Amino acid sequence: MGLVKKIVTWARIKSPWILHFNTGACNACDIEIIAALTPRYDLERFGVVLKGTPRHADVLVCSGPVTKQIEDRLRRIYEQMPEPKFVVAVGACACSGGVTDGCYNVASGIDKVIPVSAYIPGCPASPKAIIDGVVKLLASLEEKEEVKK
Amino acid sequence: MSQEEKIKESLVNKFNYLSDSIKIVRPRRISIEVSLENFEQVFAYLAKELQFGHLCTITGLDEPEKLGFIYHLAADSGILINLRTYAPKNNPVIKTVTSYFPGAEIYERELVDLFGATVTGLPVGNRYPLTDDWPTEEHPLRKDWKPKPAKEGEVDKNA
Amino acid sequence: MHNAPEFKIPIGPQHPALKEPEGFSVALKGEKILGVDIRLGYNHRGIEKAAEERTYIQDIYLLERVCGICSHSHSTCFIQAVEEIAGLAVPSRALYIRTIIGELERIHSHLLWLGVAGHEIGFDTLLMYSWRDREVVMDILASITGNRVNYGMNTIGGVRRDINPEEKQEILNGLKILEERTKYYIEIATQETTIIKRLSGVGVLSREDVLRLDAVGPTARASGVKRDIRADDPYAAYGELSFDVITDDHCDVYGRTVVRVKELMESYKIIRQALEKLPDGPLVVKAPRKIPIGEAISRYEAPRGEDVHYVRSNGTEKPDRVKVRAPTLANVQAVKHMLKDRFLADMPIVIAAIDPCFSCTDRMVHLKEQDCGSDKVINWPSLHTYSIEWHKERGIDFTQLNKKLQERFTR
Repeated sequence: MGLVKKIVTWARIKSPWILHFNTGACNACDIEIIAALTPRYDLERFGVVLKGTPRHADVLVCSGPVTKQIEDRLRRIYEQMPEPKFVVAVGACACSGGVTDGCYNVASGIDKVIPVSAYIPGCPASPKAIIDGVVKLLASLEEKEEVKK
Repeated sequence: MSQEEKIKESLVNKFNYLSDSIKIVRPRRISIEVSLENFEQVFAYLAKELQFGHLCTITGLDEPEKLGFIYHLAADSGILINLRTYAPKNNPVIKTVTSYFPGAEIYERELVDLFGATVTGLPVGNRYPLTDDWPTEEHPLRKDWKPKPAKEGEVDKNA
Repeated sequence: MHNAPEFKIPIGPQHPALKEPEGFSVALKGEKILGVDIRLGYNHRGIEKAAEERTYIQDIYLLERVCGICSHSHSTCFIQAVEEIAGLAVPSRALYIRTIIGELERIHSHLLWLGVAGHEIGFDTLLMYSWRDREVVMDILASITGNRVNYGMNTIGGVRRDINPEEKQEILNGLKILEERTKYYIEIATQETTIIKRLSGVGVLSREDVLRLDAVGPTARASGVKRDIRADDPYAAYGELSFDVITDDHCDVYGRTVVRVKELMESYKIIRQALEKLPDGPLVVKAPRKIPIGEAISRYEAPRGEDVHYVRSNGTEKPDRVKVRAPTLANVQAVKHMLKDRFLADMPIVIAAIDPCFSCTDRMVHLKEQDCGSDKVINWPSLHTYSIEWHKERGIDFTQLNKKLQERFTR
């Protein structure tokens, strides 16, 4: 069992499958996330693969401050992801509400609804910052594995 | 005579009760105030005869004792008319204009959700922009409405 | 993989019985759409309310973030209304700079759209290359304004930053590269049979429909309706610049593609003119903190169409009312009409063709089959895959074109 988990974690670190989800953001961060995958920034060289469904995703990359309309769906998506799972909050709104902090229809941040593993600030978060954040998350997973050994 | 002045003249000739209620604010901007009873006939005249064929949006306003509604109508000439009317706050009932502009539907739903207006004749459909479980007596854009403080303890403790 | 009339796509994670606001509710008969119900409100953050509780300056930063693609559009549209109420004479140099940034925004938005449209029809190389070209504009914007998006260029009474001669040259150099590449995109759009076949007759909206349903932007212009706020109700420096309003008569997604690529060429033209004519003078005129009582309505031709801001002031440093009507909202009726009696497989590109908020396409799709009474909910990626496969079976395959574009651009 321990060996299987090691292999799964290794695969995850080497090639994390990510699900991108917008919780009511203005789209700036979403576009920068996609831009991070285009040739100029090329997040894919880190083995990052964009997936369409939570059941296959290791990392949930979220933008937006979580509007009331989307809150339940965000929770459901998180619940459907297999363990171990990680959540990355991209952009000021996702981290803490950003400009929409205090507005009536938003929760003001992803971590008000689900636990967050990494925060990438910026308004929007630039593709470089996103890559930096994802790489740091992957490195911390590798570290955790090293510590366990 | 400028185009704006021609429009004003045409309106006053047709509806002389408008003679003191039309203001040419600047080139391409005309402001008109009309009572709720007379609203539809003026609106129809602008939309049809005077060919103000574009409804930019409808702005709701919360004033003491009444709700204001500004219909922003534009013509190909670039002239924009702000047609304003009011309904009493204790009975804010207006008629839909979707027969003239199908696109008005979404602007009218906003007035219902955010201001508490009643729009008669609106087709059956989903609320906009609030959620289905948002209390129907709470209207965020009313001046006396304040957002509730953020909910505590929603983080998943299983993290 | 596909069989009519039973719709065989795996059900999405949500069951329709669970309360969940679908973005799209589609009544289906076999492969054909009988009607679509569109539910919006996902991005409703309560910005208009927040605007009343913040100062005018804070509101510039707030309203920039209504939309992450049209941020300068919203910022400028708002500030124009405020300046009108305050009776400010914004210096000419500032108006020209606003125009230049606005057109740069249009370029990045249209290139973004080109990539998204390419992705929706299976032409993924187009996404890679148009977004690569888009980076040329992003670099210019970051250089002039300090940010790739949300430029913070405007203040009440003018702009906060100048364009110096080095930056002017940087813009001109960038435009040269983009113009050459755009000419190739126009070539592809107008000559490649796969594209023409895929996009023609899709999402049809007649001229009469546009007028009746009151559509705006490239969606309206692709049906021959000459509506463009830059020409109809000029703002910023547009009254002093010469440009064409691009229209097309195809009345379909193909037409909307042609309009946007041609508008890119117009934007290059406008920016060059504006840089050449850029008047000397101050960047800003002094503005009061408290805006006198009044109201104004401002219109702006954002990349997606007419943006409208209404502002009312009450003599304090916070507005009494700010109303924002973004362009996509004006095209909702047109979209519903465009999808009626069309194939489900065309839904992704038809919706993409009005250039909606990016996240509008991340909605769940509820499919209600009339014949067998089945009820399914699928997610957008599944609909996207279905669409591409469906068209592949009918001879629309972008494999060759993907290869061709790759070869052309790696020369």
